[in-house]
Amino acid sequence: MSNTPKQITLQEWDQRYEQLQRAGMHQPDYGGPLGRHVEDGDYRLLKLRYDNSAAALRLWNFLLTEEQRLYQARTRGKKIVGTMKDLGTVPVMAYSLDNLVAFYPDGAWWIPCVMELSAGLLSIADSLGIDESFCPVRAMLGAFVTGAHFPIPDLLTCSVGATCDDFSAIAQRLNSLGYPILWWEIPHRRSPEHNEPAVKLPGGFSAPKCQVEFVKSQLELVKTALEELAGESLDEKKLSAGIQKANQVRAYLAELRQLAFTAKVCPLPALEMLVAEMLAIHFCSDRDETVIVLKELVGEVRSRVKAGKGVLAADAARIFWVNPVADLQVMNLLEDCGGRICGTEYLFSHALDTIPEDLPPTEALARIALADPMVGSSVDRAERICTDIRRFGSEAVLLSRIPGASHCALEGEVITEVVQANVDIPVLEIEVPPVTDSIRPTLRTRLEALVETVIERRKR
Amino acid sequence: MKTIIYTCPYVPAEWIAAHGLRPSRIIPDAAGSTGPVVPIEGVCPYVRGFVNEVITGTQASAVVVTTVCDQMRRAFDIVVRKGKLAAFLMNVPSTWQSVAAQKLYLDELKRLGRFLIGLGGESPSTDALVKIMLEYDTARTSILAARGYLTSRRYSEAIARFNRDGKSGITRDITDKKPLTDGIPLLIIGGPLLREDFEILDVVENSGGRIVLDATETGERGMCAKFDRRRLRDDPLMELANAYFGGIQDAFRRPNSELYNWLKREIAARGARGIVFHRYVWCDIWHAELRRLKDCIDLPVLDIDTAGDNETYKHRTENRIRVFLEMLQ
Repeated sequence: MSNTPKQITLQEWDQRYEQLQRAGMHQPDYGGPLGRHVEDGDYRLLKLRYDNSAAALRLWNFLLTEEQRLYQARTRGKKIVGTMKDLGTVPVMAYSLDNLVAFYPDGAWWIPCVMELSAGLLSIADSLGIDESFCPVRAMLGAFVTGAHFPIPDLLTCSVGATCDDFSAIAQRLNSLGYPILWWEIPHRRSPEHNEPAVKLPGGFSAPKCQVEFVKSQLELVKTALEELAGESLDEKKLSAGIQKANQVRAYLAELRQLAFTAKVCPLPALEMLVAEMLAIHFCSDRDETVIVLKELVGEVRSRVKAGKGVLAADAARIFWVNPVADLQVMNLLEDCGGRICGTEYLFSHALDTIPEDLPPTEALARIALADPMVGSSVDRAERICTDIRRFGSEAVLLSRIPGASHCALEGEVITEVVQANVDIPVLEIEVPPVTDSIRPTLRTRLEALVETVIERRKR
Repeated sequence: MKTIIYTCPYVPAEWIAAHGLRPSRIIPDAAGSTGPVVPIEGVCPYVRGFVNEVITGTQASAVVVTTVCDQMRRAFDIVVRKGKLAAFLMNVPSTWQSVAAQKLYLDELKRLGRFLIGLGGESPSTDALVKIMLEYDTARTSILAARGYLTSRRYSEAIARFNRDGKSGITRDITDKKPLTDGIPLLIIGGPLLREDFEILDVVENSGGRIVLDATETGERGMCAKFDRRRLRDDPLMELANAYFGGIQDAFRRPNSELYNWLKREIAARGARGIVFHRYVWCDIWHAELRRLKDCIDLPVLDIDTAGDNETYKHRTENRIRVFLEMLQ
């Protein structure tokens, strides 16, 4: 059996699965051939290409069984918390309590892609007055109404303030349909004024101390609600332990990103890297298993890098990707066009930063929440992107617009200007709807042009 | 006197005036295809008009932008990078039920005060603030008293003029002491109006309607609550914060149930028979309220979506209003 790293189709995966099984591959209880998920309606899987490692198989199976995991948790008596518009803060708190499971209802934005619009979630959103002028996250409304994609949470939290209008409006619509929501405020992060006490945040931004205190007060409200739901106190010791666990996940992701983005030959495809990064947000509803999944993935990548093996050509154009894509297939498309991912800012870089362990835990989480690149100015975000471009040696930036998203309308221009002024590399903006089949030729042309530009610039 | 421009109703004019500066809540023109922010998909026409006016205008000394909508929050980056005016971004919390959110608003007013002093403003004495608040309150009262005596457009323009200049100018406007009663009573609700959008009010009247409540951001809904005279003398800044942050109901608030409570009260008081819902293309905050409004309020609703500067939209809007009123006859 060949273990040469490569990307394979879903059909090829089923053959590969048999081979790995015969070779004695250990499978977790959610394991199995990837092809079975198509029976659940995940038709897009038929059109994707996957890494052929056992570690990647485990990653995909972990991702695609989240719904069952949530129902199982409820059956076992655990309470479920839906943490909306929250990229990696409240879940750390929720998982610090034994009988809570947190998940990210906004993740439903990928259902129209994965199920190739067959679930009808966008039509339901339309019928509720949330049409295609909103971000595809509107699919979440349909998921709540049908109750078919995740259990209705026992507690719903949502951060508002310095967030995108789409989500805030959709969450309000959800609230008006009878779903109670605990709103907590995240203010726009501003620069400290002259002589104003300031705090350095994880990731490099700074903020006035009073803003950290304010966010801390908001997280205290959330903490009280979690305690009431769990029937258990969330003391500093438990929260600190939860932070340590979250940092374990973040440490694996940091190593994975460093290895994958800087290796001479790309050791892990863009799609698997995207899925792995997403685990940081809410641990795919199982924090302990997330650690194991990432440990295996890091092990695989380490061995590939050591052996100088990878899945793409050594001269692939090194692209920094900004914003997540609504259609996962576009990550494959970039690689088809001769690119590889060397740096990402999928809206949640702060969920990859280490949470300070030498601070009172609620303050540490408040700092992480304020370090969110989306709660500050687009200039801040662009500067963080530039820092990572230098670190990972990216040769171009791909700004992937999310259709209808309020932040995408104006941020692209700012990010482009800052990147070009600071690191002088090409920037391309594209828009990626949930299913890109009809615009695939156009997207391909644009991505090919970017790759060609990068290759040409190497001759300078 | 230095002029400070802004467009958000949560910026208290009294606070700026108390610093010895001239507050001016502007109403932008629909921006054409020129200007720093060109028409691109996803950009709200009002935000575009505002940014282009701030960047190309030369009359003001500074601009205050708030965080009540994400596009405006991000437009601030462009104003800072491309404009010449001193700029201040004020955090207006979306939540409102906690003491912490109310305190954040108050702290932001104090921070705005420091910004104004940095521009050459004076730190206001309590007496000066009280005096200015009383002046503004009196002017607002005289405008509100004129409701029903002016045509829909003249009334809304009187509010806009007051917001721009701080003067009611209302006595000159009331020429007929008899209240106007003709026309089907309607309310108009939505975000702020662009200058050109005031024509809609004429179209309503010319089509047999009458606006009994301008609940757009530029209309009555964007006016703060009346000051409590006792609290005003005890702690004027706190009363200012209460009247603005606690008194203006908006779709962006979370939850925004108070907007609907206010609306139901006002509809009952004014006898509106229909609703003109005015929104800009790409304004998610208001767009998301349309269906809910239809579900919550038992009145016919006309959805007017506009890109701001398009003749086609204008004609379509006129026709839709006419048909709506024919239906209500």
